[in-house]
Amino acid sequence: MHLADLLRLSGIVIVIVGLALRLRTTLVVMTAALVTGLVAGLPLFSSEGVFGALPFLTKPGQEGIINMLGRAFADNRLMTLFIITLPAIGLAERYGLQEQAAKLIRRVAAATVGRLNIVFQLFRVLTGILGLRLNGHPSFVRPLIFPMSIGAAEAELKASTAEDLSEDIVEEIKAANSASENYGNFYGQNLSPVQAGVLLVFSTLTGLGYVVSVWTLVFYAIPIATISVVLGMIQFWLLDRKYRRKAATR
Amino acid sequence: MISLIGQKLFSLTSVYVLTGVVLWVFAAMTLGDRANKRRISSALFWAILGAIFVFAGAMPHWLTGLLVLMMVAIDGTGGVSRGHYNESTKAEQAEHASRVGNRVFWPVLLIPIVTFAFALVFLIPYMQRLFGLDSTRAALVGLGLGGVAAMAACLRITGDKARVLMNEGRRLNDAMGAVNILPQLLASLGVIFTAAKVGDLIASGIYHIIPANNLFLLVLADCLGMALFTIVMGNSFAAFPVIATGVLAPLIIKPFGVSPEMVAIITLTAGSSGTLMTPMAANFNIVPTALLNMRDQYGVIKFQLPFALTIWSLHVILMWLMIKLF
Repeated sequence: MHLADLLRLSGIVIVIVGLALRLRTTLVVMTAALVTGLVAGLPLFSSEGVFGALPFLTKPGQEGIINMLGRAFADNRLMTLFIITLPAIGLAERYGLQEQAAKLIRRVAAATVGRLNIVFQLFRVLTGILGLRLNGHPSFVRPLIFPMSIGAAEAELKASTAEDLSEDIVEEIKAANSASENYGNFYGQNLSPVQAGVLLVFSTLTGLGYVVSVWTLVFYAIPIATISVVLGMIQFWLLDRKYRRKAATR
Repeated sequence: MISLIGQKLFSLTSVYVLTGVVLWVFAAMTLGDRANKRRISSALFWAILGAIFVFAGAMPHWLTGLLVLMMVAIDGTGGVSRGHYNESTKAEQAEHASRVGNRVFWPVLLIPIVTFAFALVFLIPYMQRLFGLDSTRAALVGLGLGGVAAMAACLRITGDKARVLMNEGRRLNDAMGAVNILPQLLASLGVIFTAAKVGDLIASGIYHIIPANNLFLLVLADCLGMALFTIVMGNSFAAFPVIATGVLAPLIIKPFGVSPEMVAIITLTAGSSGTLMTPMAANFNIVPTALLNMRDQYGVIKFQLPFALTIWSLHVILMWLMIKLF
């Protein structure tokens, strides 16, 4: 490899070092983007309009780093769309959303933190099969699954209120809820031929000259999807077992 | 005519504009929040993000890019800060809860229900043609309009003021802070990595290191390359074409004559296992920790790590076995 090639990897180094030192993430990412672009010889601006006359900042026919930045940021606004759900969730929380969800789930004797997460993961696999792409963390986890899990944990650990649960347990429940969304989403979505992952593989293989079918892709996605569900069940069952033991020693 | 109005209303642009307006309201309230020590720079940050939401479709990309740089500069100098939100006391919450009861679920359920309904309805080809919207984008439009419907339902059920509603939204938004824009920033980083051909470099590195006759080592390199590249890019979709072109097709599919579908889909999900382990996949791993006010920014990743490592190893074994057996 040439030195110029190695320099192009400097962005990766910046990200790893920056995150390890816990520097401000936005700044680290932006620095990595600018440095990678510049050492790869990309111009700062596209050569168009007002920037056409700037000799050092542009190169004819190449998209500029700042232009790419703006284009990608604009195209990916969908990732930040959840902000529009925050006022309703916030006001509902002010009116006891979390307490009500917890109260409701305490009445279901079979409900445990682990089982709730298993059911939610299966539900996300099912939505994947249906070809639905949902952003589950803001729409399901924060308003519903998390408070329900807290309610279940209160029953499981025989705590009278949410305040009786230790901070470590609440933290672990939050992580488990977020994880079950990710497990179900990532491995479940390939079970539908209209999902982005399957379509990406289809178009890439077609582009490489192979004749492929989306249904065969879906077929071969079944083993890993099954494994993901089994592994999720094991991890969440272990969580329940831990809480049962904790409750027994109280 | 109806379809034209529908196309305008049921579009990503309209929900982007609505989100931008919500952000402007947050910005205005922040400007008036004297408990926020950096209220002017904080308000500016949210106002710029709002402007990008409203105008980015029409603005030249260089201008959006410069606005993004400004936001990063504001956050980089500690300019995004929290204020005071008149949070209700425990007694007030109890009084509210006993008055509203289980009706409090309705607005919150509206969000997934509307999201779901849009995604389902736009699976129908006729609806897709009529409104020019596919199911994936329809789910996002549903998320946006579901958020608006939920706001209306919330105000009706609680009888509280719109000001309180928006202030509660601002409370949650400020709790997340600049983490909000991280997924968009990382997507931009991915685009620049791709333009700088960072992926080709990694693929050619693997190509040169691995002996071409050992199937197990090749499968290992394929799955490892996919996971590592996903960890760096934060996105398995960006990694897949690079690994498929640079490693999978020339080193596994062609010489061993295996079914491309079988190995390709397993390669893709080997990347998903990488997604579970990386802070670069901020929308999956970091935003939830902010949404749920977790103490540890890496709490979700730590929980996922044993699962991710196990399922990744099973990818290697499964792919190797399937090539051997079929």
